[in-house]
Amino acid sequence: MIYDIRHITRFDYQGSVRFARCNLRLQPIDWPGQELLDYKLVISPSGRTFPARAEAGLAHVMRLVVEDPVKFLSIESISRIAVDRPAPVPSADDPTLAEVAAAARVSRDPSAAGPAAYLFPSPRIPLDRDIGEWCAADLQPDRPVLEAGMALAQRIRREFQFDTEATLIDTSPHEAFVKRAGVCQDLAQIMITGLRTAGLPAAYASGYIRTIPPPGKTRLVGADATHAWVLLWCGARIGWVGLDPTNGIWMANDHIIMAIGRDYGDIAPIDGIVLGAGAQKLDVSVDVAPEVEEVAA
Amino acid sequence: MATLTATTLLDPSIHARRWIADYCAKRRAGDVLCDAGESVAWTAMFEEIATVAGDDLGQARERVQHHADDIGTGFSIPGDTEERPWPLSPVPLLIDSAEWAHISAGVVQRAELLEHVVADLYGDAKLVEKGLIPAALTAGSPYYLRPMAGLQPPGDHHLYFVAFDLGRGPTGEWRVLADHLRAPAGAGYALENRLAISRAFGGLQTKLNIERHAPFFAAFRDGLAAACRRSEPRIGLLTPGRYSISYAEQAHLARYLGFLFVEGADLAALEDKLYVRTIGGLKRIDAIWHRIDPRFLDPLALDSHSQIGVPGLVDVMAAGNTVVANAPGAGVPESAAFAAFLPRICARETGRDLILPNIATWWCGQERARASVIEDLDNLLIGPAFGVQPLGLDSLNPVPGAEITGAARARLLADIALRPQDYVGQEIVRLSTMPVVTEAGLVPRPFTLRVFAARGADGQWTVMPGGFARIGAAPDVRASVMGEGTWSADVAIHGPEPVDAVSLLPPADTVHIRRNPGTLPSRVADNFFWLGRYLERGEALLNIIRVMLGNSIDADAGGALGPETIGRLVGLVINGGGATKPASLKRTDLMQFVRTALESEETHSVRAINRLARGIGKGSRDRLAADFVRLLDAPYPTRGGMLDRTGSLQRRYAALAGLSAEHMGRTAAWRFHDLGRRIERALTMARAVPTFGMAGTGTDDLSTLLDLADSQISYRQRYLTGIARVPVVDLVALDPGNPRSLAYQIERIVEHLRALPVLGDDGMEEDQQAQANTLLAGVLTANAARLSEPTLKQAERRLYGLSDAIARRYFLQGAEPLRAAGMTLA
Repeated sequence: MIYDIRHITRFDYQGSVRFARCNLRLQPIDWPGQELLDYKLVISPSGRTFPARAEAGLAHVMRLVVEDPVKFLSIESISRIAVDRPAPVPSADDPTLAEVAAAARVSRDPSAAGPAAYLFPSPRIPLDRDIGEWCAADLQPDRPVLEAGMALAQRIRREFQFDTEATLIDTSPHEAFVKRAGVCQDLAQIMITGLRTAGLPAAYASGYIRTIPPPGKTRLVGADATHAWVLLWCGARIGWVGLDPTNGIWMANDHIIMAIGRDYGDIAPIDGIVLGAGAQKLDVSVDVAPEVEEVAA
Repeated sequence: MATLTATTLLDPSIHARRWIADYCAKRRAGDVLCDAGESVAWTAMFEEIATVAGDDLGQARERVQHHADDIGTGFSIPGDTEERPWPLSPVPLLIDSAEWAHISAGVVQRAELLEHVVADLYGDAKLVEKGLIPAALTAGSPYYLRPMAGLQPPGDHHLYFVAFDLGRGPTGEWRVLADHLRAPAGAGYALENRLAISRAFGGLQTKLNIERHAPFFAAFRDGLAAACRRSEPRIGLLTPGRYSISYAEQAHLARYLGFLFVEGADLAALEDKLYVRTIGGLKRIDAIWHRIDPRFLDPLALDSHSQIGVPGLVDVMAAGNTVVANAPGAGVPESAAFAAFLPRICARETGRDLILPNIATWWCGQERARASVIEDLDNLLIGPAFGVQPLGLDSLNPVPGAEITGAARARLLADIALRPQDYVGQEIVRLSTMPVVTEAGLVPRPFTLRVFAARGADGQWTVMPGGFARIGAAPDVRASVMGEGTWSADVAIHGPEPVDAVSLLPPADTVHIRRNPGTLPSRVADNFFWLGRYLERGEALLNIIRVMLGNSIDADAGGALGPETIGRLVGLVINGGGATKPASLKRTDLMQFVRTALESEETHSVRAINRLARGIGKGSRDRLAADFVRLLDAPYPTRGGMLDRTGSLQRRYAALAGLSAEHMGRTAAWRFHDLGRRIERALTMARAVPTFGMAGTGTDDLSTLLDLADSQISYRQRYLTGIARVPVVDLVALDPGNPRSLAYQIERIVEHLRALPVLGDDGMEEDQQAQANTLLAGVLTANAARLSEPTLKQAERRLYGLSDAIARRYFLQGAEPLRAAGMTLA
């Protein structure tokens, strides 16, 4: 499947921005099952971009410097990406949760793609006893990892309300857990909390899912914005597997990863500092279209 | 006479021996004083105390505390609760040079080893590859900063200044309790303690051949300079700001080391170089020694929530242009869990054992270690592996496993089963004691020792001889319960050889004479300017209050001012925001009005202005003289009636004005301070002259105007005929020979602006200079007889405009990030 993705972020400032310096983590990374074919970044009215030093993280980081005063800033990220990612098939032979946890603890892979970094609480996803206990019902240590992971993702899908009004960007996992409601970010954070509290390595993935459902299928939740889900490390043989608790499904051909981090703070699509601005208004639009021929086929 | 002398000489020795004998008669095992036996050094030290304080240890304690407080006011923040975190004990910790050589070798070895480890973790990660440490040990540390991976730090080192906490066990062996690598604090306290002790007991230094601290700091400064690319580097000490607990210590160190004391907003990373914003434009910074949580050093590359860092700093490091001591991310080995691996890393990588062992530690992330910790739980401490509280513990500090029972233990074991990587087991360390003076005389208390090491110009480590000791409040000698300690003590390394008197001052012939003392950051200029304005504003308001109190309220009817004049004074106070309109001009209402203007919490009263000035003073204390700070920080007077309080405040303000006029170096900072004063004083006159000096005003008004301008005497000397309007107006507004006149202030303003740096080299005047010149031309060509209210109102507006122009040109205005946090979740 080949996708054309157009992700536009527009800031309108009340006052004039005299200087801005930002990180853009918009270009999708290469990752098993997906390949970036073409990429373009368009900044208007003006701005200088340059690649940040390779930060050894699982994100492409561009720095954006705006030196001339501007009243608005529009950042358009255009990708063409090929995805070929079959959904995992759980088996009774999969390693157990206890085996996965033990393997992660002794891992000799210190890179950002290794499991070690995702074993621990991170600034936005602390360990939480309540969430841990709730998730533990699906996470018996002797259960095969894929089966357990999907069971948890689907229980979150069933028992939590998808509600864009319930939470804000800085809502803690605990607060969303108490409300049993939130958006993709909240549900992913709750699932990661549960997995980590059980001693498992779990990462936060941000990216896109296809906007237009294949014929006969329902439209997926989260398609009109960027999406977030969970990556679970399942031992050296299986490696990382994606779980989408918002939709209760595996990460497969409908998901496109933009970046992977311990939590949102590592991989916010845009962050940085702005000097001299008053209030800002933000508009985001995302369009994820399968290539026309593919849809026809 | 002879007998008397003999007794005096003998007494100290008798006291000293008795103190030691009494102390050691009741001793337990493991005390530094008693273990030293018949130590010549300890005896000599107590003799010195007895020489100064007689048989009264309490007096010795007070004496030392007095000196410490006195030094402290020079650089600590009175009124803050954290003024002196640890009161100073009069009894220094003595360590002989042979024992110190051992400690020192251990400190150097450890610093080198940790540099090796940190360089590896952020470099090729060979230690993980070889299996000497699991990847989780690094990843679990909140001090690990992944964006620093692969970055070769400028100067090729991650560590330049480190501190370790050491404990001395009951049998005299030293071990390392904690590593401080991120932003080690406390070197300033060591300096301060030494200074206080040498002032109190001047004979100690030479009696015991105590090693001095100055060469250590010189080595650190040279080491940092040597790491820079430019040969005469500019080095900054980056502080989190005046609300930081150790701000005073930082200010003191900056001054002592000759580093520029800067905050994040003072710095700018542009085109891969770091600059400080100064009144002369942007100036390169070659190295910073930071005292900030490293995560907050760069909101762009590290934590985007940081409001105190420098966006782009890590890019500047990556370009090799600024040395950052210590490199962000260097704190990884501070984790308790790391101690479990360090002995083996040392042995395998260097072929030698650690000279100073760690606390014996077991990281539960390893299967065998976990099993043995659980088996031996009752004999160990159990604590967080990474300084993050795990779900199974109620504390961030290690606790004895034996004290965790019942449901708490079940919970702990359940969480260890799931997340063993969050826990360490540690041996229970017992500490030696040292003598400390309490109400009950000399008593033994457990202590820890913080030692410091710095990288010198040759890249090798130098250890500060001494450091500072922290002493526990209770006799319990378990290290885990001592906490931060209650007292501090100087640590003196003594030996048989006399010590050279080295100070931080370099030999005279190696220093270029420089009359312009360096760089003035824009923020400091801003502070000095507003300090001047507030002090002058307070003085002017006090002047009005004194005129009202002295001539109208308390004086008899004959000396009282007429109601119109009183009304005008009231108007002047109201315009300045000092108080709101009184109910009437009757005595009681006026008294209330004046009290409000003097000390209300709700208005721009003298008291409120005083507080603003004090706040600003705190932010620039590295550049203010100790006497100035002392006056500024003096408590608000509470004695006597309002007239007494007013008088006392006026004397204080006059002293501050005197200090700034006569004692401040004629630096750019002083110019900004004086500019602030001149602009404020000019504003006062531009308001007072149209109020009291226009046609139709009476003798009371003119006399008041002379009072407010402090010009009664000048007037009488010049004019014998009595008070007349035009001569009064000329004297207070236009006479450039009267230092209180409007014209005089503007002349000084023009002079200052001419002397301050300009940005262009085209010789054109800058905006603030042009505006000042316009004002000057106005007063020089004015005529007292025709000076009108609109002209003076215009001058007032122009003074405000000038103040804004100065701020635009020289201060930071708007350079602070308004939003540093993540901007969006798209």
